[in-house]
Amino acid sequence: MFVVTMEQRPQVLTSAAAGDADSFAILIEPLLDPAYRLAAVMLADRSSAEDAVQEASIKAWRKLRQLRGDVTSLRSWFLSIVANECRMTRRQRWWSVLKLADLPSAESAAQQSATSDLHRALLKLRPEDRLPLVLHFYLDLSLDEVARTLHVSPAAAKSRIYRAAKRLRSDLTLEEVF
Amino acid sequence: VSNDQFKRELGQVFDEMTGSHSAALPDRVRSSLANVPDQRGPFWIAGIAAVAIAVLVVGILMESINRQQPSIGPGVVPSPTASPSGSPTPNSSLPPFVCASSGVGATPAAPVAFVSAVRTGTHGAYDRLTVEFKNGQPTTIELRTQSGTGFTTSPKGDQVTLAGRNGILVVIHGADLHTSYTGSTDIKTGYATLVEVRQVEDFEGVVQLALGLTGAPCYRAFMLTNPDRLVIDIQAG
Repeated sequence: MFVVTMEQRPQVLTSAAAGDADSFAILIEPLLDPAYRLAAVMLADRSSAEDAVQEASIKAWRKLRQLRGDVTSLRSWFLSIVANECRMTRRQRWWSVLKLADLPSAESAAQQSATSDLHRALLKLRPEDRLPLVLHFYLDLSLDEVARTLHVSPAAAKSRIYRAAKRLRSDLTLEEVF
Repeated sequence: VSNDQFKRELGQVFDEMTGSHSAALPDRVRSSLANVPDQRGPFWIAGIAAVAIAVLVVGILMESINRQQPSIGPGVVPSPTASPSGSPTPNSSLPPFVCASSGVGATPAAPVAFVSAVRTGTHGAYDRLTVEFKNGQPTTIELRTQSGTGFTTSPKGDQVTLAGRNGILVVIHGADLHTSYTGSTDIKTGYATLVEVRQVEDFEGVVQLALGLTGAPCYRAFMLTNPDRLVIDIQAG
């Protein structure tokens, strides 16, 4: 396990930008877990989610020089690539051949009953609508980071989060969401 | 409903949906990155131009050959029926697992089929390798089983040893791995049976993929269409 302190990260980013794959791997390793969670929610399939994260990592490595800003932009930049990879995976119809559903166990089914309404409502949402909810409420991205990930303005990001949340719970007010 | 309560409930549902990623994911990513050719840098424009010119030249040559030899027809159509919509294949229609070298029929619809994706998956009773093609199907596909995981790269002739105890060499004629494919050429899966997939040749229309297996080289292989893809299921030991 490689550990990089915040002070070291700019130097590691510089090394990665110079072509050092190990440095890039060190940089994105802490981002793999949020990336996987984002992909798993968008694709509703754990195996596909890991594949999407792997592909996104390769694409991010190839596009590293396109990263605008400093190392603090890395998370939203990488997550936006993961989200794009998930969209591409969903567009590829043939993928359903390989996809095996994650069947819930009896235990998890019992746990789901407590939040079943919310779970059902969430599964009815389009993956594009789940995306802002995952980013803001699950991965704890700020509005600015959500906006950067979605390539929209902060106001538009806020609007998307609120609209998606309203689809889950129609009685929510703006104050209850933010 | 307070913001905190909403966030807590939502987090619980998301946790149920996602679970945790496999412990092998960081190693998979690291391995992929280590094997990605560095395509960044000032020469990428020249690289793209060279590939475009090469594709153009090969296309013109193949077209002229096809016109001179109109009698060349398509080969044997593959075994299992595949739904045009790409739906899951029922087990009853799949070929049986075998433990010897064999060939998979394919219909050559174009001079060179471009490998566009190589994917792996694990499904309990078998691990699956899927090779997707663009621009039609390859001419022929052979699967050669072997004990040990030593393979010879072509055309260099280097010896490489894959992870695992036994191997299968997949020889695909009439295909290339460099026109449409941009992924890893050495995939370490972390699965129980199919542990490594590595390109050992991509030269003059022949692609060879070496598979490293922990168990016996028993597999079933078949072609699916729409899109064209070769599926190899490695039977779990």
